[in-house]
Amino acid sequence: MTLSNQYTESMDDNAISKPESRHPVLENWDGTVGQALVEEPRMSARSVDVFYGDTQAIDNVSLDIGKNEVLAMIGPSGCGKSTFLRTLNRMNDSIDICRVEGDILLDGEDIYKKHMDVVALRAKVGMVFQKPNPFPKSIYDNVAYGPRIHGLVSRRTELDEVVETALRKAGLWDEIKDRLDKPATGLSGGQQQRLCIARTIAISPEVILMDEPCSALDPIATARIEELIAELSQNYTIAIVTHSMQQAARVSQRTAYFHLGKLIEVGETDHIFTSPSHKLTEDYITGRFG
Amino acid sequence: MQTSTLLLVIAVLAVLAYGLGRQRSIQLVGGPSQIKHLHSLPNYYGLMAAAWAILPGFILLAVWVFLEERIIIQGLMNSLPDSYGQLGSPQMNLTLAKIQNISSGSLSASADPQLTAAAELLQQLRDRSQLFKVILTIGTTLVGALIGWVMTRPALRARPQFEFVLKSLLLLCSTIAIFTTVGIILSVLFESIRFFQAIPFFDFVFGLQWSPQIAIRADQVGSSGAFGAIPLFVGTLMIAAIALIVAVPIGLMSAVYLAEYAKPRVRNIIKPLLEVLAGIPTVVYGFFAALTMGPLVRDFFQGIGFDGVSAESALAAGLVMGIMIIPFVSSLSDDVINAVPNSLRDGSYGLGATRSETIRQVVFPAALPGIMGGILLAASRAIGETMIVVMAAGLAANLTANPLEAVTTVTVQIATLLVGDQEFDSPKTLSAFALGLMLFFTTLLLNIVAMAIVKRFREQYD
Amino acid sequence: MTEQKLDAIERLASVKQDRLNAKLKSRYARERRFQAYGIASIAAGLGFLVILLTTIFSQGLSAFWTTYVELEVTYDPQVLYIDDATDADQLRLADYGGVVREALLSRFPDVSGRQATRELTSLVSNSAEYRVRERLIANPELLGQSERLWVLADDDLDLLRKGIIDRELPESERRISDQELSWIDSWNEAGELKRRFNTVFFTNGDSRDPETAGIWGAVVGSFYTLVVTLLLSFPIGVAAAIYLEEFAPKNRLTDIIEVNINNLAAVPSIVFGLLGLAVFINFFGLPRSAPVVGGLVLTLMTLPTIIISARSAIRAVPPSIREAATGLGASKMQVTLHHVLPLAMPGMLTGTIIGMAQALGETAPLLMIGMVAFIVDIPGGFTDPSTVLPVQVYLWSDSPERAFIAKTSGAIMVLLGFLAVMNLLAVFLRKKFERRW
Repeated sequence: MTLSNQYTESMDDNAISKPESRHPVLENWDGTVGQALVEEPRMSARSVDVFYGDTQAIDNVSLDIGKNEVLAMIGPSGCGKSTFLRTLNRMNDSIDICRVEGDILLDGEDIYKKHMDVVALRAKVGMVFQKPNPFPKSIYDNVAYGPRIHGLVSRRTELDEVVETALRKAGLWDEIKDRLDKPATGLSGGQQQRLCIARTIAISPEVILMDEPCSALDPIATARIEELIAELSQNYTIAIVTHSMQQAARVSQRTAYFHLGKLIEVGETDHIFTSPSHKLTEDYITGRFG
Repeated sequence: MQTSTLLLVIAVLAVLAYGLGRQRSIQLVGGPSQIKHLHSLPNYYGLMAAAWAILPGFILLAVWVFLEERIIIQGLMNSLPDSYGQLGSPQMNLTLAKIQNISSGSLSASADPQLTAAAELLQQLRDRSQLFKVILTIGTTLVGALIGWVMTRPALRARPQFEFVLKSLLLLCSTIAIFTTVGIILSVLFESIRFFQAIPFFDFVFGLQWSPQIAIRADQVGSSGAFGAIPLFVGTLMIAAIALIVAVPIGLMSAVYLAEYAKPRVRNIIKPLLEVLAGIPTVVYGFFAALTMGPLVRDFFQGIGFDGVSAESALAAGLVMGIMIIPFVSSLSDDVINAVPNSLRDGSYGLGATRSETIRQVVFPAALPGIMGGILLAASRAIGETMIVVMAAGLAANLTANPLEAVTTVTVQIATLLVGDQEFDSPKTLSAFALGLMLFFTTLLLNIVAMAIVKRFREQYD
Repeated sequence: MTEQKLDAIERLASVKQDRLNAKLKSRYARERRFQAYGIASIAAGLGFLVILLTTIFSQGLSAFWTTYVELEVTYDPQVLYIDDATDADQLRLADYGGVVREALLSRFPDVSGRQATRELTSLVSNSAEYRVRERLIANPELLGQSERLWVLADDDLDLLRKGIIDRELPESERRISDQELSWIDSWNEAGELKRRFNTVFFTNGDSRDPETAGIWGAVVGSFYTLVVTLLLSFPIGVAAAIYLEEFAPKNRLTDIIEVNINNLAAVPSIVFGLLGLAVFINFFGLPRSAPVVGGLVLTLMTLPTIIISARSAIRAVPPSIREAATGLGASKMQVTLHHVLPLAMPGMLTGTIIGMAQALGETAPLLMIGMVAFIVDIPGGFTDPSTVLPVQVYLWSDSPERAFIAKTSGAIMVLLGFLAVMNLLAVFLRKKFERRW
């Protein structure tokens, strides 16, 4: 019932990763190139496999996300980068046929362990989606939604402060401070996406996952969001999936390249874009496919 | 000759015309090998000829069948002296019934020679009409077939012409919806106007007392009857409200559970089962309400100390009507809930909301317009429902706010006023049409508003 | 200023975990409650269905059985007032009631007095004398002889045997007196009572006597009415759907038609009854109580359903089929009739069957056009006065006799049976011809 577009997209793409249709280069693939692991990880994935029914969407991925770093995930569509992102806060749970194997740790704690509380997990690992999805409520209520449901604030004034702060951090406050009680759906696309980011910040998450947050926006709005990501990276750990290599280059410190469900190469963003080590990465960033 | 036999004759003639037209087209160009000189395939020449044969004859027959009886009666009436009453008056209707009974032999020849003569005239008119019907229909069909045969020429654009005829017929069929609406409006409007000539409109709409039965006997004291419809409106609204109070929470929550929680396998079993409720005829619900629910409600409330609860109560009828519209509410809500984009749910889950928080605080507000539209449609259905209230709500027009008393509704009154003998000049009978007018426009308004809301809702998320 | 504001969320970070955990338990409790409401609602809906059906079935099953009494009938010419067995008129008009009465009195010789005799004769159905008459007219040679004959028992006796009349009640509250009870027991001990399948129920028309009332008249009436409805609504509905989906230009007329169809689908059915009464009966002078008028009214009522489902069936035919046929030089009409229509037909049939099921269950509009009369004869054509199954249910439910409750429930079971068959047929058609493009 909650098969969203993203899910269906990745499910369709999985047809590609069936064994018989594998890319020839991957036949003798011998593991991720570069530095997948860091010294001080906030989140770390170890040998993660994701299956939709019988098809495998993610194949043996191990990857760390360091504290207060921006990690970009790139790759051709259907490479599994969105699926991987969604496993980081268990957004795939709502799909019956989805199965995750391997370990994913948040501050050393396995988030797929038996009695893990998904609600508490998602309060720590927030998510921003491809399409701006403001709730059909006022701007204020959108931002206040998270703190309210989690009971994070006890007084109205405290909530007011949190909402204002979140909107300020998202760079939206000055534009909309006079119409906080207006419906959020009346905002422009870029404003809506910043509102969604503010909404996520308002619960003070430790990690923010962003799934192609600019793909539905015009270049000016995109630039604003990118600035915002740069500012947020001072305080938050961010994992961003993007289609645009330029965007990855502009906002991230590290970049991971996915291909057909496998993590091909990880490294410093500068390094990946100037001298990739793997043939596939090079082909991709030089525009031979993708 | 029966009308059905005549239809058969027309059909046979049309088949003949088809064969002839087809053959002629082939002959005219000099045999099957030459049909490339025809504008269209030979079949279409045949079909065109058949259309010529069928259409005029069929239209004539249809018009004849529908108007026959009316014209005969008119002729018969004109032949009678004025002392038998004006056309349409109850006296005349009685006379007419007598004449018809004499003519059909179920009443032996009356003492009144004028009536006997009239009965003979009626028979004569019927025979004549029958004869003309047969001759004219077959004649027209034959002439049509002849025209079709003459028209068959190689240059005839048979296929486009035939397709045009067919398309016109299709258009005609689709305009029946308009004619139906117009028919409904005209039929309730005309009689309503006659009613409002007798009873002032405001007395009807704002009157507090309803007792149409008094009006039967003209010589009775206070014979005008009372046609204040407020008690009916109140009764209708009360029962509809009870029905909605039952159906909306149950229907909505079932839809939510099935759409948001249930596994597909469970949903595929439960949903059709719930829809069985919608497939049960209303008369069955009425029987259940009258025989089971009514006494149950009465016994229950008497048991807890209420006095004077009748077995026919607004509550019993409303409860059963509520059960009836549960699937209606749930399937409309289901549509609406499924139309709420998943991105909104994802946004909420992504912030750590539980399912119920997401449903209550994100899905419901987003679906609210659509759900409101669905509730309005359900209300319109509850207001227009007849059988349950006829069988379980009662006839007494009590103006009361107590759901344990018997109340009556607009539909109950329409049904009871028009069942049995009707006199189309008494306000009693005509008032049913005035009530029908109210009912039609109320439900129409509800439907239009509801559909507009739902449409806007859908466009919002498309 | 800004520094201090920024603290709001940072301050939050320090207390977040505690506050979150504090509320978590009640949030999950609320989640479970909400789910429970959902399950309870579904259970309520299904529960109502089960209660409704079990009530009706438990009451209605007994209608399929009825009680017969065995009588020693003597075709005594004196009692019958027949002196010439070859005279058909004499045979027809003879006093068969007397024969039945004599048979009863000879079975219980100690019964005397008018009151007791009446009580005794009330234990067998009024139809007993017709049974005896049929018998004698078919076999005139029986005159003067006697034979044992099973005749229908009265409804009260039947109810007693079915346990619906409670024999433990005091006599004053019971519809059967102690005296009658003793006769019944006597019959019972002698094996002269038996339960048989109630063929009368399935073969007779309506009747004032519950034990001889049957649904066949209503079934035939429903059949004629549905035939008219089907013959009119299917072609018209399909034609309208084809026009609207394939040919209609985008203009005002089309819009008006669409709005009308959608509105008519939601107009209360009783309004169609008003239309039928005012237009078909009063204006055109068509006969009252006739299946043809009922069929016309139900046609107008079911047309929107059929048109709407036929349109979605047409829409489900992929455009590629139309494009392929058009590409081969077929005209728009040929494409529609040769390719689209056959592919859409299963869907259209499904919609039509569902529309027919709706029409079969409809009552209110038919009340308006007089199909609510008490009609004993089985209708023989489209213009004969008749009633339909749901109206029969309505009529019987209004009858005061206790035995009609079972009859009503029985008639409902038959009606539901027809509806179930129609709907299953629709489901079957849909499954069988379901296509994935």
